[in-house]
Amino acid sequence: MTEAVVDVRELRKTFRVTEREEGLAATLRSFVKRRRKDVNAVAGITFRIDPGEIVGFLGPNGAGKTTTLKMLSGLLYPSAGDAKVLGYVPWRRENAYLGLMTLLMGNRTQLVWDIPAADSFRVLQEIYRIPEDRFRAAVNELTELLELQELVHKPVRNLSLGERMKVEFAAGLIHSPSVAFLDEPTIGLDISMQVRIRRFVAEYNRRTGATILLTSHYMDDVVALCKRVIVIHRGRLLYDGPLADLAERMAPYKIITATLHDGAAPSTDLDSYGTVVSRDEGRVMLRVDRQVAPERTARLVNDLGDRLADISVEDPPIEEIIDRVFTSEQATVSA
Amino acid sequence: MTRYLRLLRLFFRAELQYELEYRLNFVLEIVETAVVTATSVGAVLILFSYTTVLNGWDLGAMLVLLGCFYLVQGFGEFALQPSFEKFLENVRLGTLDFALLKPASPQFQVTLRYFRVAQLAQMALGAVVVAVGLSRIPAIGLAEAIGFPIALICGFVLIYALLVALSTFAFWFVRVDNLMALYWSFMDAGRFPVDVYPGWLRVTLSSAVPIGVAVTVPAQVIAGRLDPLGLGFLILGTIAAFILASRFWRIGLRSYTGASA
Amino acid sequence: MIRTYRALLVAQLQAASQYRVQVLLWMLFSVIRPVIFLAAWVAVANAQGGQIGTYDVRDFAAYYICLSLVSCLTASWNAYEFEYEVRFGRLSPKLLRPLHPIHYAVVENLVAKLTQIVPLSIVLVFISITFDARFRTTPAHVLLFVPSVMLAAALSFLSGWVLATTAFWTTRVHSVSTFWDRAAFIFAGQIAPLALLPGPLQAISLALPFGYVLGVPAEILRGGVSPSTALLLMAGQAIWLAIFFVAFQRVWRAGVRQYSGVGA
Ligand SMILES: Nc1ncnc2c1ncn2[C@@H]1O[C@H](COP(=O)(O)OP(=O)(O)OP(=O)(O)O)[C@@H](O)[C@H]1O
Ligand SMILES: [Mg+2]
Repeated sequence: MTEAVVDVRELRKTFRVTEREEGLAATLRSFVKRRRKDVNAVAGITFRIDPGEIVGFLGPNGAGKTTTLKMLSGLLYPSAGDAKVLGYVPWRRENAYLGLMTLLMGNRTQLVWDIPAADSFRVLQEIYRIPEDRFRAAVNELTELLELQELVHKPVRNLSLGERMKVEFAAGLIHSPSVAFLDEPTIGLDISMQVRIRRFVAEYNRRTGATILLTSHYMDDVVALCKRVIVIHRGRLLYDGPLADLAERMAPYKIITATLHDGAAPSTDLDSYGTVVSRDEGRVMLRVDRQVAPERTARLVNDLGDRLADISVEDPPIEEIIDRVFTSEQATVSA
Repeated sequence: MTRYLRLLRLFFRAELQYELEYRLNFVLEIVETAVVTATSVGAVLILFSYTTVLNGWDLGAMLVLLGCFYLVQGFGEFALQPSFEKFLENVRLGTLDFALLKPASPQFQVTLRYFRVAQLAQMALGAVVVAVGLSRIPAIGLAEAIGFPIALICGFVLIYALLVALSTFAFWFVRVDNLMALYWSFMDAGRFPVDVYPGWLRVTLSSAVPIGVAVTVPAQVIAGRLDPLGLGFLILGTIAAFILASRFWRIGLRSYTGASA
Repeated sequence: MIRTYRALLVAQLQAASQYRVQVLLWMLFSVIRPVIFLAAWVAVANAQGGQIGTYDVRDFAAYYICLSLVSCLTASWNAYEFEYEVRFGRLSPKLLRPLHPIHYAVVENLVAKLTQIVPLSIVLVFISITFDARFRTTPAHVLLFVPSVMLAAALSFLSGWVLATTAFWTTRVHSVSTFWDRAAFIFAGQIAPLALLPGPLQAISLALPFGYVLGVPAEILRGGVSPSTALLLMAGQAIWLAIFFVAFQRVWRAGVRQYSGVGA
């Protein structure tokens, strides 16, 4: 067994927040005394990541993803639990560790607003003590992969959001880290920029063998990049395994899509095969239990005969699975 | 160490390039500092229209003191205030993270990152006022000439240490940008020799808030009023203040959690 | 309107309660400079046998304590915030609301003063004991002081807004307010009581608005001027207030037009 790059055990983070009520009296009271409350942002999670993996870290807003990434990159002290990244305890913030990893946040910038990125790169070169030849090589490679060219010579404030994100990536990776934590790197970008960033991440991982832990609310990112996903909700781990198995575990049903030559006359009764999800222009989508899917499909083919133009059996869309996981989880919690 | 010097040069160059893009602002800022200095000299002249000495300081010595005041204050606005303002803003917005992710001293990255080059003019004006004051002082010995820059540099470091210590509170209280304003107000006290102030204020200004020391002592040195022993104490005190403030800052940093995002 | 103010007041108090430490800092803000110049004048007076013009050491103390109180009560800092809002396009949402932005500023200003007045009084009592201040205040002076300081606060607030409004045309409000502040430094009674400004400076200070914000109410409270002189000085305050009121309305209207024209 290879040494895990990221090894997290029972990691916890509890924030203490002050609460304030509405109204004049309450406000005056809080001027003197405040009420405090604990928020379990991360409530004990355990997982390992092997070298070179790209792992998707999923969960709804407030699940604790960013909090986890911040602990792994040494920005936050955990309330309890252990973590090792590349053999280092992140929150000791040893320079050796900091030089080997990066944290990129889609909604933050580390570049100085008023100066061109190229100048910021030079600063990073000094901070990371990157020798000139390696620095040039890294800049050239990133410039090529991200198509930066003239972008790095404009003041950062004059860049578009997508352009800035590309430059941000370059700044975050200029020291060739072997672990990268990416927190919503495609947030706010248009589809084609998302695709380019995705392609870049995949290519970067292939070329350098860097280990990547990525959060995103865009399932396309996850599908395109991650073979494995870790799902958390309310600070707890719900699922850790292959993306392909997520559906099987989390969504016990499949979707059968049948296209009919005669346009699926409303009279055709399909309810006996499964739950009709939608029906338009001759296409009917049925939801059926996973176990009975083969049998129902066979029956459909059999019964509809020549009327059938096409039929397919698929897992539900990943968004739907995720959504289902979270809503059902909420249901059990509130029940 | 040389890495940090090279970084400082990079920071400074970037800032200079940026400021020169906005020439009118640059010039206006210099004019502002000229007006500020002139009105302050005016205030001293008004006081001296009623007297010839103020607690043993004659007009020449007072001008040297005022010049030192602007040297120190100019240094603060040139090299310190910009970074500290950004620092407080970053703490408030929870965006300090990036400095903590880098294999270099967070304190250095945060507190010496930005400059306001135009404020060098204020230091230059301070030097001019010192020179004018000196022209009224009969003779300056070699010891004074050597001691003066040393005392002045100690002053700079003391002010820096003070700012580091003050800004540390941001880690706990989040919004303390007005500490900055407070700092400038206290700074104001440096325009007169510390010994004019009543006991409690004098003690504050020479210990907890060393602005009085940072300005008064260099002026005393060049006016030949400070013995080598005092200068030695100043140097030791400065080193101690620097170390203590840095420690305190690191403790504060540990409790920094950053805003959720 | 009263209900609006109530709601705004609650919101502002809420904000203020979040920054308790800051309230104390702001309070010290209005004390420090007066104490500095008080100390300097005490030194000058002592060098001259204890008396400068009509002021002795204890009069200086009383004057600068009054000045400190007045400067807290008339403080106005909205110019800087406003410039920021204009520059970064934050003003637009406020202009869309059915309430003039000045009301937010008025409430914020009032709240700040309300929260500062108690700690400030404590500090001032302490200082007046340290310096052994002697007040020549009579009940008449107190009666005159109340309207006078209100005029001063209004004047300071409005002049601050006129300055701030220049942000509609120029991005250099900072320079404008620096020049303004430095003029106030000389002419408002900070570096010396107005009566001690040498020669022509004193006449000039009476013709400018700065003294009417700080020096005039402070002298009235100290009892440094006779009630009849006080009334005369208050007339000066009223005139400047009227001038700034008209100026504000003109400048604001033109400014908003300019702002929407640019479409920020
Ligand atoms: N500094 C903090 N102080 C108090 N509470 C916090 C802090 N940071 C995070 N939280 C809380 O912890 C929980 C987890 O937040 P976190 O930012 O990790 O979520 P996330 O999974 O990244 O969500 P999103 O997808 O919205 O980015 C939230 O309930 C949040 O309110
Ligand atoms: Mg997040």
